[in-house]
Amino acid sequence: MLVVLAGTIVSCDKQLDQLPFDGLATDNAFVSVDDFENGIRGVYIALVRVGRDGSTSTGYYGASDAGALLSAPDVMSDNVTMAISGRTSKSTIHNFRYSPSQSNLGNLYRDAYSLIYRANQVLFFAETFEGENKTNIVAEAKALRAMAHFDLVKNFGKIPTQSGDANGSLGVAYVTEADPNITPERETVGAVYGKIVTDLTDAVAGINVTNDPGRLNRNAVNLLLSRVYLYMGQWQNSIDAANAVTTSVAARANVVNVWDDSSQDGLIFSIPNEASVLNAGVGVTWSQGPLSGTFLPEYAVSFELFNTYSADDIRKAAYITFGTDSNGKDYNAIRKLLGKTGQTNGVVDIKIFRAAEAKLNKAEALFNLGSEVPARNALDEVRSRRYTAPPSGETGTALRDAIRLERRLEFAFEYQRFYDLKRWGLPIERTNAGDEADGTGVPSEILTLSAGSTKFQLPIDQGIIDSNNNIVQNPGY
Amino acid sequence: MKKSYYLWLVLIFFNMTMVLAQEKTVTGTVTDDAGLPLPGANVIIKQTNTGTQSDFDGNYTISAAVGQTLSFSYVGFETQELKVGASNTMSVSLRPGALLEEVVVTGYSTRNKTVQTSAVVSISASEISQLAPTTSVDNLLQGKAAGVQVTAANGKPGQGAFVRIRGTGSLSAGGSSPLYLVDGAPIREEELGNIATSDIENITILKDAATTARYGSRGSNGVVVITTKTGNRNKDATVRYSSRFGTTTRVDLNYTMMDATQKLQYERDMYALGVAGAAALPGVTTQPGSPERDRLTRNALDWEELVLKDGYVQNNNISIDGGAEKMDYFFSVGHDKNTGIIDKISGFERLNSRLNVNFDAKEWLSVGVNVGYARSLSDEPRDRNNSQNPFRHMLDVNPYETEFVLDEFDQITYNENGEPIYNTTTTGYPVRRALETEPAFEVENITLANVDALVKFSKSLSYGFSFAVNHLNRRRETYSKPGGVLDDLIGNADFPGRKTDANTQRLDMTASNRLNYTLITENHNLNILGLFEYNFNEVNTLSAISRGFSSPLLTTQSNAGFTDSASTTRNRLTLVSYGAFADYDFNQRYLASASIRRDGSSNFGSDVQYGTFYSGSIGWNVAKENFFKVDAIDDLKIRAAIGTVGNRSGIDRYEAQGFVGFAQYPGGLATEPSNFPNPELQWETTQTTNVGIELNMFNRRISFVGDYFVRNTTELLFDIPRSDESGVDTVAGNAAEIENGGIELSLQADIVRSPDVTWTIGGNILLLTKSEIVSLPNGAPIDPPNTFNIRWDEGTKINEHFLIRYAGLDSNTGRPMYYGADGNTYFADEMPEDDNQNRVFQGKSTIADKEGGFFNNIVYKGFGLRTDFVFKYGNWINNFVKSNVVSDGLAVDANQATEAFNYWQQPGDTDVSMSPIYRNDEGSLAANTDRFLERGDYIRMRNVTLSYSFPKKTLEKSPLSNLRVYVQGQNLLTFTKFFGDPEVGLSSGETISFADSVAPGEATLYSYPNTKSIQVGLDVSF
Repeated sequence: MLVVLAGTIVSCDKQLDQLPFDGLATDNAFVSVDDFENGIRGVYIALVRVGRDGSTSTGYYGASDAGALLSAPDVMSDNVTMAISGRTSKSTIHNFRYSPSQSNLGNLYRDAYSLIYRANQVLFFAETFEGENKTNIVAEAKALRAMAHFDLVKNFGKIPTQSGDANGSLGVAYVTEADPNITPERETVGAVYGKIVTDLTDAVAGINVTNDPGRLNRNAVNLLLSRVYLYMGQWQNSIDAANAVTTSVAARANVVNVWDDSSQDGLIFSIPNEASVLNAGVGVTWSQGPLSGTFLPEYAVSFELFNTYSADDIRKAAYITFGTDSNGKDYNAIRKLLGKTGQTNGVVDIKIFRAAEAKLNKAEALFNLGSEVPARNALDEVRSRRYTAPPSGETGTALRDAIRLERRLEFAFEYQRFYDLKRWGLPIERTNAGDEADGTGVPSEILTLSAGSTKFQLPIDQGIIDSNNNIVQNPGY
Repeated sequence: MKKSYYLWLVLIFFNMTMVLAQEKTVTGTVTDDAGLPLPGANVIIKQTNTGTQSDFDGNYTISAAVGQTLSFSYVGFETQELKVGASNTMSVSLRPGALLEEVVVTGYSTRNKTVQTSAVVSISASEISQLAPTTSVDNLLQGKAAGVQVTAANGKPGQGAFVRIRGTGSLSAGGSSPLYLVDGAPIREEELGNIATSDIENITILKDAATTARYGSRGSNGVVVITTKTGNRNKDATVRYSSRFGTTTRVDLNYTMMDATQKLQYERDMYALGVAGAAALPGVTTQPGSPERDRLTRNALDWEELVLKDGYVQNNNISIDGGAEKMDYFFSVGHDKNTGIIDKISGFERLNSRLNVNFDAKEWLSVGVNVGYARSLSDEPRDRNNSQNPFRHMLDVNPYETEFVLDEFDQITYNENGEPIYNTTTTGYPVRRALETEPAFEVENITLANVDALVKFSKSLSYGFSFAVNHLNRRRETYSKPGGVLDDLIGNADFPGRKTDANTQRLDMTASNRLNYTLITENHNLNILGLFEYNFNEVNTLSAISRGFSSPLLTTQSNAGFTDSASTTRNRLTLVSYGAFADYDFNQRYLASASIRRDGSSNFGSDVQYGTFYSGSIGWNVAKENFFKVDAIDDLKIRAAIGTVGNRSGIDRYEAQGFVGFAQYPGGLATEPSNFPNPELQWETTQTTNVGIELNMFNRRISFVGDYFVRNTTELLFDIPRSDESGVDTVAGNAAEIENGGIELSLQADIVRSPDVTWTIGGNILLLTKSEIVSLPNGAPIDPPNTFNIRWDEGTKINEHFLIRYAGLDSNTGRPMYYGADGNTYFADEMPEDDNQNRVFQGKSTIADKEGGFFNNIVYKGFGLRTDFVFKYGNWINNFVKSNVVSDGLAVDANQATEAFNYWQQPGDTDVSMSPIYRNDEGSLAANTDRFLERGDYIRMRNVTLSYSFPKKTLEKSPLSNLRVYVQGQNLLTFTKFFGDPEVGLSSGETISFADSVAPGEATLYSYPNTKSIQVGLDVSF
């Protein structure tokens, strides 16, 4: 009997080693070539969905009611006016009322770092992996890691060109390890941008010229690099990176179709959003419902921006449409996330990088180097594909303003405006026009944010500081 | 006539032949040492199955042959044996001294109550049978044992309760529940409703480490040991039949909803005050006396009456028990039904059966088997915080709204299929129709089986093996019938109807080896138990959802158009345990126990799977000392215990390991982290210190138990927040510390104990003097998941409400004021800081700090009147329901309580709610205020029973040995100042489920109301 008992004890001890059935041990999930393909897609998916502790966040390119990258840079700018009949989502950031205890862009912060964890995990396992796709996977992971840090630092820190002290001011923690136990400190803006450039430079060298839809490729990384250099004020580098982008600017005839996914012209990085796969209802960020009768807008195109588009500008029709709510009020609705052809369900591809930006980055960098003619030529490459009678011929300050204007018009509702104003050291100035299509209705509550305001650097949520005491709050909060 | 009536009763259930012996008749009286008769004493002919019991006067009659031996026994007295001789009269006087016979379960063994050294409470079958005939064991515990806090989840038939022994011992959902064992097999709190209370011989609650440490890693929140009945050896079969029937209704509420006239008036009043939402309501759009108004009042409905029904409860149970010299058996079969109080659905029904058999196979070997099976069926109405929930719906719908769409002659209109057209009402949801078209139910099949073998090597050494299984098969079906309410609202027109089937298989197996050594000498009693145990638990789920049903009569997915989703899951949890337990007493005077147990559990890090738990306890029964000469005192025991106990529940099963899951991304699968590893994840440990005193006086007519305890829980299992920069939200780990402490008192006294009258009173109370969060991970406050406004912080009570303080009304305007964080009062729009920062702790927790029960039982010549009360004091409930039914005009389109009329109208008004002009003030504060935070104190008469037991004399000439009839009321009286029913567990079961509940009783939110019932019953045995 004792033998039996002893035998049982040994076999029972083995029973303590249980593995989960409903998940795969992380060590076993990064072994084969396919594993790493799945793994890198797991980093991308964090852009639009992050599962955490039983709930799911929409990712920092998702339709967060608190505001995410998809909406915040325009909501915090002069491009939109809050629609009073909507749900008043994101009103905290629209009115610059953010404070450490209000959840504002805290989810963007968390979601970006969740993506960074996944990228670092891929990089960690890739160290001991020798598959054929290793170089490309590593490059993608580094590019994604750089992109997420860039998206963090431009919100929570200053932009290098913004002011003289920017490079020495508080940036964000640049995380390069997948470790739940780290409590890093914020690095300086200069250090963060330096690491972003390092990661992107590595990525350019290793990434494939083309990758699957929904994934970065060499053009995308070069474009991002050109923007990063532009933000850093490294004009020649920005020009060089922009020149490396081979995708051509979308033809005027295709501009409208790009936004209902019936054309891919000029797209460099865009995440396919099919009902059967991601089914991310990103359009809710701007509005819900059909355009006629029961339209429920959150934000409308600001009357000032609406009037800034000239009649022969194809973007007016491509970016703006007409919506009527249940009370019969009309709005200049944002069309960019409305839906695929014939749909208003907000399920539409998420466009992140487009070729036009390479030209506009280049134009701005060239202008800053004093090369006005090449700058104007680069600008005209965009303008000639947008207007029937494109303006041209500006010089000096007029050329600078034309480059800035074109950037606003081209990338309205496309996650740039707030950072552009910020890096140019300009204030945010909204007109007193209302939310309705004819400029009547209720204007936004707060109309200006003065240049140099500390509110250009978003506060760090108190919860973020509570969970890591090494994080220092931004000045002014 | 009378006799034939009894026979009829018997024949209804059993066609039995009574075999009468041919021997002579022996009669006599059984008395105690003082000559008082002992009713119910056992008189058994040795070596046979024959026996009887003495009647109320101590008299017995038995047929026996000369030379046979009669054995006389009575609890608390020494057994006497007498040989039948020439005389036909044999009277005996039993000596007490056998006070020791009461044994209590102390963890893998039993011990005489006088010598045990732990804080345990034992509830016997007789006490259970006298109590409220609740269908669930946990509800029954309320008020019965000092230190046990019970919060009924809600009033849904078959629904259980949240049981906390000595405070809330953990911060994770499900982590604070005690370990429940039925004949050695663990069972989950949620599944206790499957145990028939009539099968229970004893419920023992182990409260301190001296006994709980024997359950090692699972005992930290106390252990509830449920033992089912066994038969008596050498006794002819006793057949017991009990039957009960009664009605059940919602408990009486202390507020009433408006009737049509009142609501119409209210709407007009609100409109006059500028409540815009009232403009389109009929109170404004119709004039009093107009035909439109008349039509509204003429067709008015009491929606509570419409949605609710007078339900009925019914129970029938038969058991047969007895035994021969070498075996005993207990058999039972029972049926319970409780229709609940929602009209149109059928509530809860349970069928259960059990057979327990023990058999001495050899001189040195005995084997036993306990098997119980239960099948329950429960309708699952929506428990949401919206109009799909009948209990919210009936309060929200205006009394002037009709159930059906009426034509101009007030007649019901019909659709093309001839079905009445339901009025969707202001709620937009015809709940009465939905009860028909959206059925949901759950079927549970549970089998509890335990087989054991005991080998006696010698008088002092034995080995026992047992194998216990608890197998649950649960099926939950939810159907949105094609053409039904939800199908119309959100269905797929091409593929109507939607069906969900979710199946859960849960298996729990325990194999247990015990080696027992006993040494009994004149002065020393020693018992040593060695334990080796293995526990295995596996849960498998399968769920499928399909759409597209051609007919509502199709209720399975085999004919569905397409499958929407399908999934299976599986997980396992194992436990390996070694233990050694020792009990010792010297002359029953000096007592000592010790235990050590080592447990390994699969859900911890592989290097730290094992935890060691110990306990030591000592006792001194002063009354047994020779120098102690106080005759009135039978026992005076002082005891002390200290020990450590573990907890492993409250976390997922593989939390120590890192693993990933997969999702779809364009191009293929995407790897997503599912769990971040923590290889150091280990046991949560509670150290319990206990000092107790037990006093029995006047032949145990008075007994008192007092305990003082401190429970310190460290290494709390916790989802520890990581830095956001790490990209990881939380990782399960061990952090935080909490402490519970308090005093338990219980007293029971036979005020009168005479042959004709027994009058017993008793009660118990827990004084929870400490329930505190000592430390948290990183020292940072935590807003726990699955709560509304609870915050944990170091130094606060566990589960304190964290709210903005309401500061009363500005008496000049009727405008509400609130305290800012700075302590000054402000109007809502002038609050300093942002709203979150004005929230404060006020020491108001969801946990009652005083809780208990008391009873009164008078028996006079067979008549019995028993009342049981339960009470809670010191807990706070956020009364969301009140905020909706007294909404200051905010919810003017929904019906309101008549209390809503009591609002500020002119300067000087006191005891009123705010002026509806300021109705939006409350909502403008992003965080909730404490305006509806109310004390949850109550005293409730849980049970009142008037019974009559027919005297043995009357029954003598019938085949019956026992006949008791009774009428019983449950929850008939409640004393509370709370608005509504203060017995709150779940707020809304679909908002926060039973399993996810961290702070039960935090808020009211329309969960199933508690019920009261009046029942008549019959217990008969022969």
